[in-house]
Amino acid sequence: MLSYGFMQNALIVSLSISILCPCIGVFLVLRRYAMIGDTLSHASLAGITIGLLSGQNPVLGAFVFTALSGALIEYLRRYFRKYTDLILTIVLALSVGTAITIISSGRLNASADAFMFGSVLTVTRTDTVMIMILSAVSVLALIRLYHQMVYIAYDEEAARVAGVRTGLINYVFFVLVASAISVSIRIVGVLVLSSMIALPVATALQLEKGFKQTLLFSGLFSVIDIMSGLFLSYYLNVAPSGFTALVSVFVLVAVMAGKKLKRAAKRSSDQNTAR
Amino acid sequence: MIWAENLSFSYNAVPPYILDGLNLEIKRGEYVSIVGENGCGKSTLMKLILGFLKPTRGGIQTDAYKLGYVPQKSDSANSGFPITVYEMLDSYRRLLKLRDKSAVAEGLRQAGLFGYARTLMGNLSGGQQQKALIARALMGEPDLLLLDEPSAGVDPDSQHEIYALLKRLNTERGLTIVSVEHNLDAAISNSTVIFHLHGGRGHFCTPRQYSEEYLGKGDRRA
Repeated sequence: MLSYGFMQNALIVSLSISILCPCIGVFLVLRRYAMIGDTLSHASLAGITIGLLSGQNPVLGAFVFTALSGALIEYLRRYFRKYTDLILTIVLALSVGTAITIISSGRLNASADAFMFGSVLTVTRTDTVMIMILSAVSVLALIRLYHQMVYIAYDEEAARVAGVRTGLINYVFFVLVASAISVSIRIVGVLVLSSMIALPVATALQLEKGFKQTLLFSGLFSVIDIMSGLFLSYYLNVAPSGFTALVSVFVLVAVMAGKKLKRAAKRSSDQNTAR
Repeated sequence: MIWAENLSFSYNAVPPYILDGLNLEIKRGEYVSIVGENGCGKSTLMKLILGFLKPTRGGIQTDAYKLGYVPQKSDSANSGFPITVYEMLDSYRRLLKLRDKSAVAEGLRQAGLFGYARTLMGNLSGGQQQKALIARALMGEPDLLLLDEPSAGVDPDSQHEIYALLKRLNTERGLTIVSVEHNLDAAISNSTVIFHLHGGRGHFCTPRQYSEEYLGKGDRRA
Protein backbone atom coordinates (compact mmCIF):
# COMPACT_ATOMS: atom_id res chain seq x y z
CA MET A 1 0.00 0.00 0.00
CA LEU A 2 2.93 2.34 0.61
CA SER A 3 3.91 2.06 -3.05
CA TYR A 4 1.11 4.54 -3.77
CA GLY A 5 2.24 8.18 -3.72
CA PHE A 6 -0.95 9.36 -2.01
CA MET A 7 -0.41 6.83 0.82
CA GLN A 8 3.18 8.04 1.30
CA ASN A 9 1.86 11.61 1.62
CA ALA A 10 -0.89 10.43 3.97
CA LEU A 11 1.65 8.59 6.13
CA ILE A 12 3.87 11.66 6.52
CA VAL A 13 0.89 13.90 7.27
CA SER A 14 -0.53 11.34 9.74
CA LEU A 15 2.79 11.19 11.59
CA SER A 16 2.86 14.98 11.82
CA ILE A 17 -0.71 15.02 13.14
CA SER A 18 -0.05 12.31 15.69
CA ILE A 19 2.85 14.30 17.15
CA LEU A 20 1.37 17.79 17.00
CA CYS A 21 -2.25 17.14 18.04
CA PRO A 22 -1.55 15.69 21.51
CA CYS A 23 1.09 18.38 22.19
CA ILE A 24 -1.63 21.00 21.69
CA GLY A 25 -4.41 18.79 23.06
CA VAL A 26 -2.81 18.32 26.46
CA PHE A 27 -2.94 22.09 27.07
CA LEU A 28 -6.46 22.43 25.65
CA VAL A 29 -7.81 19.60 27.80
CA LEU A 30 -6.07 20.68 31.00
CA ARG A 31 -7.25 24.26 30.57
CA ARG A 32 -10.81 22.90 30.14
CA TYR A 33 -10.71 24.21 26.56
CA ALA A 34 -11.60 20.96 24.79
CA MET A 35 -14.71 22.59 23.30
CA ILE A 36 -12.58 25.42 21.91
CA GLY A 37 -10.86 22.74 19.79
CA ASP A 38 -14.27 21.80 18.41
CA THR A 39 -15.18 25.43 17.68
CA LEU A 40 -11.85 26.11 15.99
CA SER A 41 -12.09 22.98 13.86
CA HIS A 42 -15.40 24.37 12.55
CA ALA A 43 -13.71 27.75 12.08
CA SER A 44 -11.15 26.02 9.88
CA LEU A 45 -13.93 25.03 7.47
CA ALA A 46 -14.59 28.73 6.85
CA GLY A 47 -10.86 29.21 6.20
CA ILE A 48 -10.86 26.32 3.73
CA THR A 49 -13.78 27.74 1.79
CA ILE A 50 -12.16 31.20 1.73
CA GLY A 51 -8.92 29.57 0.51
CA LEU A 52 -10.75 27.64 -2.23
CA LEU A 53 -12.78 30.72 -3.24
CA SER A 54 -9.70 32.94 -3.54
CA GLY A 55 -7.67 30.28 -5.37
CA GLN A 56 -5.16 29.97 -2.51
CA ASN A 57 -4.05 26.82 -0.71
CA PRO A 58 -7.02 25.77 1.50
CA VAL A 59 -4.68 24.53 4.28
CA LEU A 60 -3.16 28.02 4.45
CA GLY A 61 -6.68 29.52 4.46
CA ALA A 62 -7.64 27.20 7.33
CA PHE A 63 -4.52 28.18 9.29
CA VAL A 64 -5.07 31.94 8.92
CA PHE A 65 -8.83 31.90 9.64
CA THR A 66 -8.46 29.51 12.60
CA ALA A 67 -5.64 31.60 14.10
CA LEU A 68 -7.79 34.74 13.77
CA SER A 69 -10.74 32.92 15.36
CA GLY A 70 -8.48 31.83 18.23
CA ALA A 71 -7.36 35.43 18.74
CA LEU A 72 -11.02 36.51 18.67
CA ILE A 73 -11.86 33.94 21.38
CA GLU A 74 -9.00 35.22 23.55
CA TYR A 75 -10.15 38.83 23.03
CA LEU A 76 -13.81 38.04 23.76
CA ARG A 77 -12.78 36.06 26.87
CA ARG A 78 -11.93 39.39 28.48
CA TYR A 79 -15.06 41.10 27.17
CA PHE A 80 -17.60 38.41 28.18
CA ARG A 81 -16.08 37.51 31.57
CA LYS A 82 -19.39 36.31 32.99
CA TYR A 83 -20.71 34.52 29.89
CA THR A 84 -17.68 32.72 28.50
CA ASP A 85 -19.78 29.95 26.90
CA LEU A 86 -21.32 32.63 24.65
CA ILE A 87 -17.92 33.24 23.06
CA LEU A 88 -17.83 29.83 21.39
CA THR A 89 -21.36 30.33 20.07
CA ILE A 90 -20.36 33.69 18.54
CA VAL A 91 -17.22 32.31 16.86
CA LEU A 92 -19.11 29.21 15.72
CA ALA A 93 -21.86 31.38 14.19
CA LEU A 94 -19.30 33.54 12.39
CA SER A 95 -17.30 30.64 10.96
CA VAL A 96 -20.10 28.20 10.10
CA GLY A 97 -22.09 31.10 8.68
CA THR A 98 -19.14 32.08 6.46
CA ALA A 99 -18.57 28.47 5.33
CA ILE A 100 -22.23 27.77 4.51
CA THR A 101 -22.64 31.07 2.66
CA ILE A 102 -19.57 30.44 0.48
CA ILE A 103 -20.39 26.76 -0.19
CA SER A 104 -24.04 27.53 -1.04
CA SER A 105 -23.04 30.40 -3.34
CA GLY A 106 -21.86 27.83 -5.92
CA ARG A 107 -18.70 29.83 -6.61
CA LEU A 108 -16.27 27.19 -5.38
CA ASN A 109 -14.27 25.46 -8.09
CA ALA A 110 -13.48 22.52 -5.79
CA SER A 111 -15.45 20.50 -3.27
CA ALA A 112 -15.10 21.18 0.43
CA ASP A 113 -16.53 17.72 1.27
CA ALA A 114 -13.09 16.12 1.55
CA PHE A 115 -12.29 18.54 4.36
CA MET A 116 -15.51 17.73 6.21
CA PHE A 117 -14.85 13.98 6.38
CA GLY A 118 -11.09 13.82 5.72
CA SER A 119 -9.49 11.95 2.87
CA VAL A 120 -6.10 10.43 2.13
CA LEU A 121 -6.60 10.86 -1.60
CA THR A 122 -6.64 14.66 -1.56
CA VAL A 123 -3.29 15.18 0.19
CA THR A 124 -0.94 16.68 -2.38
CA ARG A 125 2.87 16.90 -2.24
CA THR A 126 2.55 20.70 -1.66
CA ASP A 127 0.18 20.05 1.25
CA THR A 128 2.62 17.52 2.68
CA VAL A 129 5.53 19.97 2.60
CA MET A 130 3.42 22.78 4.07
CA ILE A 131 2.07 20.50 6.80
CA MET A 132 5.59 19.30 7.69
CA ILE A 133 6.84 22.90 7.97
CA LEU A 134 3.83 24.00 10.09
CA SER A 135 4.24 20.96 12.36
CA ALA A 136 7.99 21.44 12.83
CA VAL A 137 7.62 25.17 13.61
CA SER A 138 4.75 24.47 16.01
CA VAL A 139 6.60 21.71 17.89
CA LEU A 140 9.69 23.95 18.18
CA ALA A 141 7.51 26.81 19.53
CA LEU A 142 5.95 24.41 22.04
CA ILE A 143 9.39 23.24 23.22
CA ARG A 144 10.50 26.87 23.59
CA LEU A 145 7.37 27.87 25.55
CA TYR A 146 6.92 24.56 27.40
CA HIS A 147 7.34 25.79 30.99
CA GLN A 148 5.34 28.98 30.44
CA MET A 149 2.47 26.99 28.96
CA VAL A 150 2.57 24.36 31.71
CA TYR A 151 2.24 27.11 34.31
CA ILE A 152 -0.47 29.04 32.49
CA ALA A 153 -2.46 25.80 32.41
CA TYR A 154 -1.69 24.85 36.02
CA ASP A 155 -1.70 28.19 37.85
CA GLU A 156 -2.05 31.29 35.68
CA GLU A 157 -1.70 33.70 38.62
CA ALA A 158 1.61 32.15 39.69
CA ALA A 159 2.80 32.39 36.09
CA ARG A 160 1.99 36.12 36.06
CA VAL A 161 3.84 36.67 39.35
CA ALA A 162 6.86 34.90 37.81
CA GLY A 163 6.80 37.43 34.97
CA VAL A 164 5.19 35.32 32.25
CA ARG A 165 3.38 37.46 29.66
CA THR A 166 0.26 35.34 29.83
CA GLY A 167 -1.77 37.46 27.38
CA LEU A 168 0.87 37.21 24.64
CA ILE A 169 1.43 33.48 25.20
CA ASN A 170 -2.33 32.83 25.07
CA TYR A 171 -2.39 34.43 21.60
CA VAL A 172 0.63 32.37 20.51
CA PHE A 173 -1.12 29.27 21.88
CA PHE A 174 -4.15 29.89 19.67
CA VAL A 175 -1.86 30.24 16.64
CA LEU A 176 -0.43 26.82 17.55
CA VAL A 177 -3.94 25.37 17.90
CA ALA A 178 -4.75 26.80 14.46
CA SER A 179 -1.62 25.16 13.12
CA ALA A 180 -2.55 21.74 14.58
CA ILE A 181 -6.05 22.00 13.16
CA SER A 182 -5.03 23.06 9.68
CA VAL A 183 -2.38 20.33 9.61
CA SER A 184 -4.90 17.66 10.60
CA ILE A 185 -7.86 18.71 8.56
CA ARG A 186 -6.80 17.02 5.28
CA ILE A 187 -6.75 13.53 6.78
CA VAL A 188 -9.00 13.76 9.81
CA GLY A 189 -11.65 16.17 8.57
CA VAL A 190 -13.56 18.88 10.43
CA LEU A 191 -16.14 16.61 11.99
CA VAL A 192 -13.90 14.41 14.15
CA LEU A 193 -10.89 16.69 14.48
CA SER A 194 -11.52 17.71 18.08
CA SER A 195 -11.63 14.06 19.14
CA MET A 196 -8.12 13.59 17.68
CA ILE A 197 -6.95 16.46 19.84
CA ALA A 198 -8.69 15.41 23.06
CA LEU A 199 -9.00 11.60 23.13
CA PRO A 200 -5.30 10.59 23.24
CA VAL A 201 -4.89 13.07 26.13
CA ALA A 202 -7.95 11.67 27.90
CA THR A 203 -6.40 8.19 27.53
CA ALA A 204 -3.01 9.32 28.87
CA LEU A 205 -4.66 11.03 31.86
CA GLN A 206 -5.98 7.62 32.96
CA LEU A 207 -2.39 6.59 33.76
CA GLU A 208 -2.10 9.32 36.45
CA LYS A 209 1.48 10.33 35.63
CA GLY A 210 3.30 13.67 35.83
CA PHE A 211 3.01 16.30 33.08
CA LYS A 212 5.92 15.21 30.91
CA GLN A 213 4.91 11.56 31.01
CA THR A 214 1.27 12.45 30.30
CA LEU A 215 2.47 14.39 27.25
CA LEU A 216 4.63 11.48 26.06
CA PHE A 217 1.85 8.92 26.57
CA SER A 218 -0.60 11.25 24.76
CA GLY A 219 1.82 11.18 21.81
CA LEU A 220 2.09 7.39 21.99
CA PHE A 221 -1.69 6.87 22.07
CA SER A 222 -2.08 9.41 19.28
CA VAL A 223 0.38 7.50 17.06
CA ILE A 224 -1.43 4.23 17.85
CA ASP A 225 -4.87 5.76 17.14
CA ILE A 226 -4.00 7.61 13.94
CA MET A 227 -1.67 5.03 12.38
CA SER A 228 -3.93 2.06 13.06
CA GLY A 229 -6.88 4.18 11.88
CA LEU A 230 -5.03 5.00 8.65
CA PHE A 231 -3.88 1.43 7.86
CA LEU A 232 -7.07 -0.37 8.91
CA SER A 233 -9.31 2.08 7.06
CA TYR A 234 -7.28 1.40 3.89
CA TYR A 235 -7.98 -2.33 4.08
CA LEU A 236 -11.59 -1.87 5.21
CA ASN A 237 -12.10 0.75 2.50
CA VAL A 238 -13.69 3.29 4.84
CA ALA A 239 -12.87 6.96 5.61
CA PRO A 240 -9.77 7.16 7.87
CA SER A 241 -11.21 10.00 9.96
CA GLY A 242 -14.25 8.10 11.21
CA PHE A 243 -12.29 4.90 11.78
CA THR A 244 -9.47 6.74 13.60
CA ALA A 245 -12.08 8.30 15.92
CA LEU A 246 -13.47 4.80 16.61
CA VAL A 247 -9.99 3.41 17.31
CA SER A 248 -9.23 6.26 19.74
CA VAL A 249 -12.47 5.62 21.66
CA PHE A 250 -11.64 1.89 21.74
CA VAL A 251 -8.10 2.56 23.07
CA LEU A 252 -9.51 4.91 25.75
CA VAL A 253 -12.06 2.31 26.88
CA ALA A 254 -9.37 -0.42 26.87
CA VAL A 255 -7.05 1.67 29.06
CA MET A 256 -9.91 2.54 31.43
CA ALA A 257 -10.82 -1.16 31.70
CA GLY A 258 -7.16 -2.10 32.28
CA LYS A 259 -6.93 0.50 35.04
CA LYS A 260 -10.04 -0.87 36.72
CA LEU A 261 -8.74 -4.46 36.51
CA LYS A 262 -5.39 -3.41 37.95
CA ARG A 263 -7.11 -1.70 40.89
CA ALA A 264 -9.33 -4.72 41.52
CA ALA A 265 -6.28 -7.02 41.44
CA LYS A 266 -4.44 -4.76 43.88
CA ARG A 267 -7.42 -4.65 46.24
CA SER A 268 -7.74 -8.41 46.26
CA SER A 269 -3.97 -8.86 46.83
CA ASP A 270 -4.14 -6.34 49.73
CA GLN A 271 -7.05 -8.27 51.25
CA ASN A 272 -5.12 -11.56 50.94
CA THR A 273 -2.08 -9.99 52.62
CA ALA A 274 -4.28 -8.65 55.45
CA ARG A 275 -5.63 -12.15 56.08
CA MET B 1 7.10 48.76 50.91
CA ILE B 2 3.43 48.96 49.80
CA TRP B 3 1.49 52.21 49.55
CA ALA B 4 -2.13 52.79 48.64
CA GLU B 5 -3.76 56.18 48.48
CA ASN B 6 -7.47 56.81 48.15
CA LEU B 7 -7.75 53.34 46.62
CA SER B 8 -11.19 52.43 45.30
CA PHE B 9 -12.22 49.40 43.34
CA SER B 10 -15.35 47.82 41.93
CA TYR B 11 -15.46 45.07 39.31
CA ASN B 12 -17.83 47.11 37.11
CA ALA B 13 -15.90 50.37 37.65
CA VAL B 14 -19.06 51.97 39.09
CA PRO B 15 -20.32 52.25 42.70
CA PRO B 16 -20.80 50.50 45.05
CA TYR B 17 -17.06 50.04 45.59
CA ILE B 18 -15.62 46.98 47.34
CA LEU B 19 -12.72 49.16 48.44
CA ASP B 20 -13.66 52.81 48.87
CA GLY B 21 -10.96 55.44 49.45
CA LEU B 22 -8.61 53.04 51.24
CA ASN B 23 -5.23 54.30 52.50
CA LEU B 24 -2.46 51.90 53.42
CA GLU B 25 1.26 51.80 54.15
CA ILE B 26 3.11 48.57 54.82
CA LYS B 27 6.73 48.91 55.91
CA ARG B 28 9.61 46.62 55.02
CA GLY B 29 10.06 43.78 57.54
CA GLU B 30 6.46 43.78 58.79
CA TYR B 31 4.23 40.72 58.98
CA VAL B 32 0.77 42.08 58.17
CA SER B 33 -2.42 40.06 58.43
CA ILE B 34 -5.37 41.46 56.49
CA VAL B 35 -8.59 40.49 58.25
CA GLY B 36 -12.26 41.33 57.85
CA GLU B 37 -15.64 39.82 57.17
CA ASN B 38 -16.34 37.62 54.15
CA GLY B 39 -16.69 39.74 51.00
CA CYS B 40 -15.07 42.84 52.53
CA GLY B 41 -12.39 42.90 49.81
CA LYS B 42 -9.41 41.11 51.38
CA SER B 43 -8.60 38.99 48.32
CA THR B 44 -9.41 41.94 46.03
CA LEU B 45 -6.84 44.04 47.90
CA MET B 46 -4.32 41.19 47.46
CA LYS B 47 -4.99 41.09 43.71
CA LEU B 48 -4.53 44.88 43.52
CA ILE B 49 -1.16 44.59 45.30
CA LEU B 50 -0.19 41.85 42.81
CA GLY B 51 -1.26 44.04 39.88
CA PHE B 52 -3.85 41.48 38.69
CA LEU B 53 -6.53 44.17 39.02
CA LYS B 54 -6.33 47.87 38.23
CA PRO B 55 -7.71 50.41 40.74
CA THR B 56 -10.94 52.13 39.73
CA ARG B 57 -9.71 55.27 41.52
CA GLY B 58 -6.57 56.18 43.44
CA GLY B 59 -3.41 54.10 43.30
CA ILE B 60 -1.41 51.33 44.87
CA GLN B 61 2.31 50.63 44.43
CA THR B 62 5.12 48.55 45.83
CA ASP B 63 8.90 48.85 45.69
CA ALA B 64 9.43 45.10 46.24
CA TYR B 65 12.05 43.83 43.80
CA LYS B 66 10.80 40.25 43.87
CA LEU B 67 7.37 38.93 44.85
CA GLY B 68 6.45 35.51 46.18
CA TYR B 69 2.77 34.57 46.06
CA VAL B 70 0.82 31.72 47.61
CA PRO B 71 -2.70 31.66 46.13
CA GLN B 72 -5.78 30.39 47.89
CA LYS B 73 -5.39 26.62 47.86
CA SER B 74 -8.73 26.04 46.14
CA ASP B 75 -7.39 28.10 43.20
CA SER B 76 -4.33 26.05 42.54
CA ALA B 77 -5.00 22.66 44.12
CA ASN B 78 -6.36 21.70 40.71
CA SER B 79 -6.39 18.14 41.95
CA GLY B 80 -6.79 16.48 38.54
CA PHE B 81 -3.84 18.28 36.98
CA PRO B 82 -1.03 15.82 36.15
CA ILE B 83 1.97 17.57 37.66
CA THR B 84 4.46 16.17 40.16
CA VAL B 85 5.87 18.18 43.05
CA TYR B 86 9.26 18.19 41.29
CA GLU B 87 7.78 19.39 37.98
CA MET B 88 5.79 22.13 39.76
CA LEU B 89 8.94 23.48 41.43
CA ASP B 90 11.33 22.92 38.53
CA SER B 91 9.10 24.64 35.94
CA TYR B 92 8.74 27.61 38.28
CA ARG B 93 12.53 27.73 38.72
CA ARG B 94 12.86 27.97 34.95
CA LEU B 95 10.22 30.73 34.77
CA LEU B 96 12.25 32.70 37.30
CA LYS B 97 15.36 31.99 35.16
CA LEU B 98 17.21 30.53 38.16
CA ARG B 99 20.14 28.54 36.81
CA ASP B 100 20.89 26.77 40.08
CA LYS B 101 18.97 23.46 39.98
CA SER B 102 19.57 23.00 43.72
CA ALA B 103 16.75 25.55 44.27
CA VAL B 104 14.31 22.68 43.64
CA ALA B 105 15.98 20.39 46.19
CA GLU B 106 16.06 23.30 48.65
CA GLY B 107 12.33 23.88 48.06
CA LEU B 108 11.59 20.20 48.64
CA ARG B 109 13.66 20.22 51.83
CA GLN B 110 12.01 23.39 53.10
CA ALA B 111 8.55 21.94 52.47
CA GLY B 112 9.51 18.62 54.13
CA LEU B 113 8.61 16.85 50.88
CA PHE B 114 11.92 15.27 49.94
CA GLY B 115 10.38 11.82 49.54
CA TYR B 116 7.47 13.18 47.51
CA ALA B 117 9.28 14.67 44.51
CA ARG B 118 7.61 12.23 42.08
CA THR B 119 4.18 12.41 43.74
CA LEU B 120 1.38 14.20 41.90
CA MET B 121 0.41 17.50 43.55
CA GLY B 122 -3.22 16.33 43.62
CA ASN B 123 -2.26 13.28 45.68
CA LEU B 124 -0.71 15.34 48.51
CA SER B 125 -2.65 16.27 51.66
CA GLY B 126 -3.91 19.86 52.00
CA GLY B 127 -1.05 20.71 54.36
CA GLN B 128 1.61 19.20 52.06
CA GLN B 129 0.19 21.06 49.06
CA GLN B 130 0.30 24.34 50.93
CA LYS B 131 3.89 23.74 52.06
CA ALA B 132 4.87 22.98 48.45
CA LEU B 133 3.23 26.22 47.27
CA ILE B 134 5.04 28.20 49.98
CA ALA B 135 8.34 26.55 48.94
CA ARG B 136 7.59 27.62 45.35
CA ALA B 137 6.83 31.20 46.44
CA LEU B 138 10.16 31.35 48.30
CA MET B 139 12.18 30.42 45.20
CA GLY B 140 14.38 33.25 44.01
CA GLU B 141 14.45 34.75 47.52
CA PRO B 142 11.62 37.29 47.29
CA ASP B 143 11.60 40.35 49.58
CA LEU B 144 7.79 40.36 49.77
CA LEU B 145 5.69 37.26 50.40
CA LEU B 146 1.93 37.48 49.76
CA LEU B 147 -0.39 34.73 50.96
CA ASP B 148 -4.13 34.32 50.48
CA GLU B 149 -5.60 32.32 53.38
CA PRO B 150 -2.58 30.07 53.94
CA SER B 151 -4.31 27.76 56.43
CA ALA B 152 -7.53 27.11 54.47
CA GLY B 153 -8.12 23.37 54.15
CA VAL B 154 -4.98 22.53 56.15
CA ASP B 155 -4.89 20.19 59.17
CA PRO B 156 -3.99 21.72 62.59
CA ASP B 157 -0.46 20.20 62.75
CA SER B 158 0.42 21.51 59.29
CA GLN B 159 -1.10 24.90 60.16
CA HIS B 160 1.22 25.07 63.14
CA GLU B 161 4.25 24.20 60.96
CA ILE B 162 3.26 26.72 58.28
CA TYR B 163 2.84 29.62 60.72
CA ALA B 164 6.07 28.70 62.51
CA LEU B 165 7.86 28.84 59.14
CA LEU B 166 6.29 32.21 58.24
CA LYS B 167 7.21 33.68 61.63
CA ARG B 168 10.78 32.40 61.27
CA LEU B 169 11.09 33.90 57.78
CA ASN B 170 9.86 37.23 59.11
CA THR B 171 11.99 37.43 62.25
CA GLU B 172 15.18 35.73 61.06
CA ARG B 173 15.31 36.70 57.38
CA GLY B 174 13.42 40.00 57.70
CA LEU B 175 11.01 38.92 54.95
CA THR B 176 7.98 41.21 54.60
CA ILE B 177 4.82 39.12 54.76
CA VAL B 178 1.28 40.16 53.85
CA SER B 179 -1.32 37.50 54.48
CA VAL B 180 -5.07 37.51 53.96
CA GLU B 181 -6.30 35.70 57.05
CA HIS B 182 -9.51 34.08 58.15
CA ASN B 183 -7.67 32.33 60.98
CA LEU B 184 -7.80 35.09 63.60
CA ASP B 185 -5.88 33.16 66.27
CA ALA B 186 -3.01 32.70 63.82
CA ALA B 187 -3.18 36.38 62.80
CA ILE B 188 -2.96 37.53 66.43
CA SER B 189 -0.22 35.08 67.41
CA ASN B 190 2.08 35.56 64.43
CA SER B 191 1.70 38.93 62.72
CA THR B 192 3.34 42.17 63.85
CA VAL B 193 0.50 44.32 62.49
CA ILE B 194 -3.15 43.67 61.66
CA PHE B 195 -4.97 45.54 58.91
CA HIS B 196 -8.70 45.36 59.58
CA LEU B 197 -10.86 45.90 56.50
CA HIS B 198 -14.42 47.09 57.02
CA GLY B 199 -16.83 49.03 54.81
CA GLY B 200 -14.33 49.39 51.98
CA ARG B 201 -11.70 51.00 54.22
CA GLY B 202 -9.21 49.71 56.73
CA HIS B 203 -7.10 50.60 59.70
CA PHE B 204 -3.96 49.23 61.28
CA CYS B 205 -3.75 47.98 64.82
CA THR B 206 -1.45 45.79 66.87
CA PRO B 207 -2.50 42.17 67.34
CA ARG B 208 -3.17 42.98 70.99
CA GLN B 209 -5.38 45.97 70.17
CA TYR B 210 -7.27 43.89 67.64
CA SER B 211 -7.75 41.09 70.13
CA GLU B 212 -9.10 43.48 72.77
CA GLU B 213 -11.15 45.79 70.57
CA TYR B 214 -12.78 43.27 68.28
CA LEU B 215 -12.45 39.80 69.68
CA GLY B 216 -13.08 41.07 73.21
CA LYS B 217 -16.57 42.01 72.02
CA GLY B 218 -17.12 38.45 70.89
CA ASP B 219 -16.92 39.31 67.19
CA ARG B 220 -14.82 36.46 65.77
CA ARG B 221 -16.01 36.72 62.20
CA ALA B 222 -13.38 37.17 59.56
